[in-house]
Parts: sequence; C-alpha cells; structure tokens
Amino acid sequence: MIRRAKGVIFFSICAIATLIAVSLLFVIVGVIFSKGISAFSVTFLTEESKNFGQTGGIFFQILGTIILITSAGILSLPIALGTAVYQTEYLWPSFRRAASIVLYALNGVPTIIFGLFGYAVFGLLLNVGVSWVSGTFILAIMILPTLTVSIKEAIDSIPVKYRESGLSLGFSKWKLIRVIIIPHSFFGIVTGLLLGLARAAGETAAIMFTATVFSGVNVPRSFLEPITTLQTHILVLAQEALNPQARTNAWGAALALVMIVFFISIVSMFIRSRIRLEAER
Amino acid sequence: MFQLNRFGPARIIFASSFFISISIIVVIFFFLITNSLPIFYLEGWDFLTGTHWYVGEVYGALPMIYVTVLVTLLALCFAFPLGLGTAIIASEFLPERYRLIVKMVMELLAGIPGVVYGLLGIVLLTTTVQRVFNLIDGNCILTAGLLLGVMILPTIMTVSEDALRTVPKEYREQALALGLNHSEVVLTAVLPAAAKGILGAVLLSTSRAMGETISVMLVIGSLDRIPSPFFNIFTTAQTITSKLGREASEALGVGYHWNALIGLALVLFIMSMGMAFIGDIIVVKEKRV
Repeated sequence: MIRRAKGVIFFSICAIATLIAVSLLFVIVGVIFSKGISAFSVTFLTEESKNFGQTGGIFFQILGTIILITSAGILSLPIALGTAVYQTEYLWPSFRRAASIVLYALNGVPTIIFGLFGYAVFGLLLNVGVSWVSGTFILAIMILPTLTVSIKEAIDSIPVKYRESGLSLGFSKWKLIRVIIIPHSFFGIVTGLLLGLARAAGETAAIMFTATVFSGVNVPRSFLEPITTLQTHILVLAQEALNPQARTNAWGAALALVMIVFFISIVSMFIRSRIRLEAER
Repeated sequence: MFQLNRFGPARIIFASSFFISISIIVVIFFFLITNSLPIFYLEGWDFLTGTHWYVGEVYGALPMIYVTVLVTLLALCFAFPLGLGTAIIASEFLPERYRLIVKMVMELLAGIPGVVYGLLGIVLLTTTVQRVFNLIDGNCILTAGLLLGVMILPTIMTVSEDALRTVPKEYREQALALGLNHSEVVLTAVLPAAAKGILGAVLLSTSRAMGETISVMLVIGSLDRIPSPFFNIFTTAQTITSKLGREASEALGVGYHWNALIGLALVLFIMSMGMAFIGDIIVVKEKRV
C-alpha cells in the first residue's frame, strides 16, 4: 500500500512539473503569436521602418537578418567542413578527443564575449567600424562549433564498409574524401548549417556593437556598411516603454524573428529524421 | 613520391581550416588576458573583491560576480525541478510517438531568441512581479532569475531526457523483474544510472544561463551594488553580462574602464567555460561509452 502510494506521489509530482512547464511554454508561444499577429499586415512586412521604428514596417530588418546569417553561414561552412574532415581523416587519433574538447569549449563562450572581441578586432584594430563584414565574421566564428560537431557526427556515422570499398579500389585519401566522405555526410552538413543559421538568427549580443545599427540603414551596399536586423530592432523598441505603437511593432518584429528561427529549425529536424530513416535502412 | 600525398594541397587546405578553428579560442583568451591586464595591475585582487565601481575612480567587480551567480542559481532552482520532471514523464511514462513530439517542441522552444524573451520579460514579467510582490520596481533579481529559468527550461529538459534515454533497457527490465512498480523503477534504477548525464545537463544550462545577455539586461535594472541583505532578491542589480552589454560601447576600447570591462568578461569566460567544459566531458562520456 505504502509503496503504491509513494509511486503515485512520485508520478503526480512529475506530472505537475510537466503540466507547469508545458503550460508555461504554451503561454509564451501564445503571447508571442497573439501579440505579434496584431501588428502583422502586408504593409508591415513590406515597408521600410519610419520614424525610428515607431511606424512603418520591418522589411529591411527581415532582409538584414537573412543577409547576415546567410553570409555568416557561407563563411563558416567551408572552415567547419575542413575542420571536421581534417579531424576525422588526417589527425592522429590520440589528438582527436583533445580537438573535440577545444571545439566544445568554443561553444561555451558567452556570446557577448564574441561581441567584445569583434569590437576590439574590427572596430579598433582593423578600423572598419560597425559593419556587415564584422557581423559576418563574428557570427561565423560563433556558429563554427555547431557546424563542425554536426558534420563530424555525420562523418563518424558513415559505415566502415563504404570506406573499405573505397580503399580497396585504391582511392587516395583526397579521392576518398571527395567521393565517399563528403557525399555521404551531405545531410549532416545541411543539418549542421541550418542549426548554425538558427542560432545566428537569434543572436543579438554578439552583433549589437559591431554590425548593426537601429535606423537609417536599408540594405548595405558594401561590406563596410552597417546592417539593420530584427534582433536590434526588437532590442531598441522593447525599451520604448511609453510608446504603445513602438511596442506593437516590437511584437510584430519578434513574431517575424521567431517564425524565421522556427522555420529553419523545423526544416533541420525534418532532414535529421530523414537521416535516421536512411541509417535504419 | 609517397611524401607527395602527405603534404598535398588537399591536406594543407584541411589542416589550415582546422588550425583556424582551434586557434580562435586561444586568440580570444589571449585578447581577454592582454586587454584586462592593466586593471589587474591597477587594482590587484581588489578588482575581484571590491564592492564599488565608479568609472574613472575605482573598479570593484564583486557585486556583478555575486549577482551573476545569484541569478543563475535562482534560474536553476526554478527550471531544474520542472525540467527534470518533464524529462522523466517524457522518457519513462509517455509512448514513443508523444515523446518525440514533446522533444521536438522543446527543441523548437530552445531556439526562441533571447531578445524575444527580453521583450516578454519587460512587458509581462516585470509588471507581474511588481504587482504580486508589491514592489516599487519590477526590474529585479527575481525577475531576471525567473526569465532565465524559463529560457533554460527546454535545454535542461532535452539534455536530461537524453541522459535518461541512454540508460540501457536491461536496467529497467531487471528492476521490474524484482517486482518494483513503475515509479520505483525510475527512482531506484533509472535516475541513479542517469545521474551523471543529468548533472551534465545542469552544468551546460548553467553555463548558458550565465552567458545570456540581452534578456537579463532588459529586466534586471542597473545598480552596481551587492543587494542588502545579501539574499534580497527584490532589488535591482547588475550581472556581468548586463554590465558588459550596457557599458562596452561607452568605454570605446581604451583606458581603465575598457580594461575593467574586459576583466569582467574574463571572469565570466572562466566561470562559464569551466561549467560548459565539465558538463560536456560528462555528457560526451555518457553518450559515447
């Protein structure tokens, strides 16, 4: 009897915790959607922002976020791929674990430190100021571990027999990588890239004093010009406590940003489940 | 001839990208050390133990360090029971299909940007906290702790769920064979076996919570003082990250103010990376036995 009662109590505690957690998160998503939807309209999504973001839309902010994460992804991908391939194919096995630990450590660096580092390197040392190129480099560095780890896991999961058949055909290492390793880790590469992009899209602290400005910018015409993003837009508008119209626009921008991040994450989950299906086959 | 492949162009390209990746963390560490050295020359250990921070006069980092730890602990106290409870239900009691749905939803939620949480915090949480606890200002340590707790909840849940799933089926079967009921199986067989992985989950989310900047900055106020009494969580304060986020662009990259801020960043770097590092080692070990 007592044992059973204890079991029931344990289960109910866990169930209550689950209920609270799930309803909390539902409330959060519900609030973001309901408040954001009321700001959404065709003009809100297609117009430029006016009057310091208090009126007008968020077209260039959306574009800025997409431009910035795309350029960071393009810069980060080859380096991550090279790192993962070098680590799995060339590096001495006894060093592989140490290399992984270093990469994991990079993943643990608080993002604001990337921002400070970028400010010192691009703002002071190279004197390019607040610019698209600094944001690209900083975000590329930030998402590098995400990409590398994902690609490395994909390479590790390639069945040994594929490598063996390649080697038995007399492939050189380079040919093995080109013909077997990279094609067979393709989905892992894409998943890693998408995870990295989602992470970059949600990042504010790393780029707020290096790449983005709040107003007066549309599309950067060169790498040295500043860019405007949804993240910065929300950050500034959120602090406009007294203006209800600014608040509404902040919610609209927040919904747009959340939808971008969710879209990227859902695509990456979809691809990941396909990898799993292929692995089981 | 055989040396050609060893140092061929392909290898050089791969090797250079590898060394770029590895050296980044070293460069960042070097940057933090060199840029914060002057403040340690100026203040010595007082930089870490001083309680006053007046730009141009004295730089004491203790209030920020203490509040960072306090806020993180609050967030953990709030998120850990909820996250672990959810993980237990998902992993041990839900059918496979629902488990995957819960997990996917949690992974999605983990991606909600910090700045959006900050907006939620400013608009909803500060006013709620202010009303419920009858405060003058809703921007306080408690608000920041609660907000951070909600932010790390999905991470705690998914990583502890992973830890629970790695416990082999045989453990559960043997415990069942001994005549234990479902809850007892979880309590006596599964949880102890997954304890290390769960600890890893906690450390990882602690590290993430410490480094979170925007949302904390928006709801904690900005008072560089140790709360009095020291456990008073209803007062405005300043964490390391909120200090950095607010003042870094004012410091303009030179002088003691900048050195002091980088000194703070160095402290944060060591605390946060230490956590992530230990957590990763534990989790990775658990995963790749």
